Amino acid sequence: MITNRLSRWTPHFFASALVNFIGAEMLMLAGVTWPAHALGAAGTLITIHLLVIGWLLLLVLGALFQFVPVMTTLPLASQTAALACLVAVEGGLLGMIAGFLGVAGGTPRLAWLLPAGGGAVTIGIAIALWNVGVPLARARPSSLPGRMVMTGIAFLVATVTLGLLFAAVLSAPAAMPRLTPILAGVGEHALSGLGGWFTLTAMGVSYKLLPMFMLAPEERGALGRGVHLVGAMGFALAVVAGLAAIWRPIAIVIDIQRIGDVAIGLAVALYLWDVRRIYRERRRTAIELHNRAAIGAFAFLGVALASAAIAAAAHRLGAIAPALAFLIVFGWLGGLGITQLYKIVPFLAWLVRYGGRLGRGPVPRVQDLVRDRAALPWFIVYGAGVSIATVAALMRWPTAFRIGVAPIAVATIGLAVEYWRAWHATYADASRPVKPVPPAMPAPPASRETSLLINRGDRPRWNP
Amino acid sequence: MEPLTLDLREELRRGGEPLPRILQAVDQLAPEQSLRLLTTFEPLPLYAVLGRKGFGHDAVRHGDGDWEIRFQPGTNTAPARTAVTPATRPTSADEWPTPSVFLDNRGLQPPEPMVRILDAFEHLGAGAVLEAVNERDPVFLYPELQARGAAIHTEKVQGGVRLLIRRAG
Repeated sequence: MITNRLSRWTPHFFASALVNFIGAEMLMLAGVTWPAHALGAAGTLITIHLLVIGWLLLLVLGALFQFVPVMTTLPLASQTAALACLVAVEGGLLGMIAGFLGVAGGTPRLAWLLPAGGGAVTIGIAIALWNVGVPLARARPSSLPGRMVMTGIAFLVATVTLGLLFAAVLSAPAAMPRLTPILAGVGEHALSGLGGWFTLTAMGVSYKLLPMFMLAPEERGALGRGVHLVGAMGFALAVVAGLAAIWRPIAIVIDIQRIGDVAIGLAVALYLWDVRRIYRERRRTAIELHNRAAIGAFAFLGVALASAAIAAAAHRLGAIAPALAFLIVFGWLGGLGITQLYKIVPFLAWLVRYGGRLGRGPVPRVQDLVRDRAALPWFIVYGAGVSIATVAALMRWPTAFRIGVAPIAVATIGLAVEYWRAWHATYADASRPVKPVPPAMPAPPASRETSLLINRGDRPRWNP
Repeated sequence: MEPLTLDLREELRRGGEPLPRILQAVDQLAPEQSLRLLTTFEPLPLYAVLGRKGFGHDAVRHGDGDWEIRFQPGTNTAPARTAVTPATRPTSADEWPTPSVFLDNRGLQPPEPMVRILDAFEHLGAGAVLEAVNERDPVFLYPELQARGAAIHTEKVQGGVRLLIRRAG
């Protein structure tokens, strides 16, 4: 049974994610928090959760609901489950924010909202994992993007488990005295989430999306497998050994942790090399705007890798960690997100609006739904803002950081308007009448052995 | 026995349609004699046409981008048709009429293959069959075809997916 492969709720995931992203940017702009701020402060906790749960998690889950069926050619377990997931995650996030505010504002009776909200988010994630896990597990043969997403999901489970342990220890420290030191594992929690989950998943999805729209070979060979295996091993070793070192900081554990760190660096370097290969091997001469802008996101990942390597060599990784995390969230993951949305949103809008009319009359092209002239400045402004804010975070200069966040926020709003226009086909409607399709081809004579159309690219030819 | 060689490159570059010449050459072949074609691209639809006459094929792409295809009589062992996507109903494409339209959609960016297939589909006569070769399984195309009452058969081929689409009638 062929089912409709469009994910009904994906646009709602994207819209919610963007609202949360802009909300987090507004908090940073208002000076509520910035990367060197105390992690435990309510404003910092709210901003971080808006960014990683509200923005990145909803963005990636919305994208997976759409792309897992494309990657596996199998339908989701359920479309309704996607809506349930959205409601649980967004509702849970709002509960957590209210809980943080309540605790910070001296209203302890609101504290129950923290575990309740966290529980709702966890349920939402569990629903999502089941929904994409079914087609991923059934897909044969499995593809590299699919396997990377599966690995990412394993790290998501680890990240959520760690988060729940933190919540349990914080709410009842007396109950688990031997587990209390785990609170020192916030770095491993972030590494598992931003690295193992978001980064490996983003890499996997990019291995599908980049070749698809640049017409490059999808088969990544040994290099692609290397990125996956070395990356998965690196994040696993670094997270597990990092946690073990909290209780037993002995030489062998520290060494394993270092091996993990080196493997992560190697996997990122291999990935960037492979992405360069995809761009160079493309058969489409002109690169579309979303993939031109994505080069900025890959550059930010490269800068993050280089600075992490330099800082690690100088034993100063801890000092740059906040700026590094900001660069990874806004430059790499956020940058890849906003640039790919610029293709995904008009593509989905085009399918929903015009799919049924194809072949039956003139329809706009996908690229008629966007206006590159309007979007390009926002990508530049966003990249400039990320650069300024990252340097400011590194220099520990809060005012300059806010000066950098301002263009990021303006660019995000500007791009959100462009996505909105694409979704509502504003540009296509404005430019009616649309470009007419080529004149109808003559109906070929049926069932004549000699009627052969040798048809390549845009050169249809009929034999007499 | 020396194969019969047909160099179609000049004609193809001029935009000509060499099929009649090919079929004429096939008729002139001695028993067991093979046919050697020189073309500017891989003539995928021809494989099906000559395959039905019992010809197997070997294709080689030369460094200059041209293709050399050798058709060997009596070597066509019908490729196993394995459906990679379940069709709307069980379809035995073996009993379908010869495809009357061929679309080579390789090298096109999504959603262009889908646009071309639906455009050609809407111009098909009742009961007629369209054959297309895509680089990717066109997952967004199937619901559209299903809504238009088409029967679909797909099989994986080297470098992509081969689709047979039959219009109701």
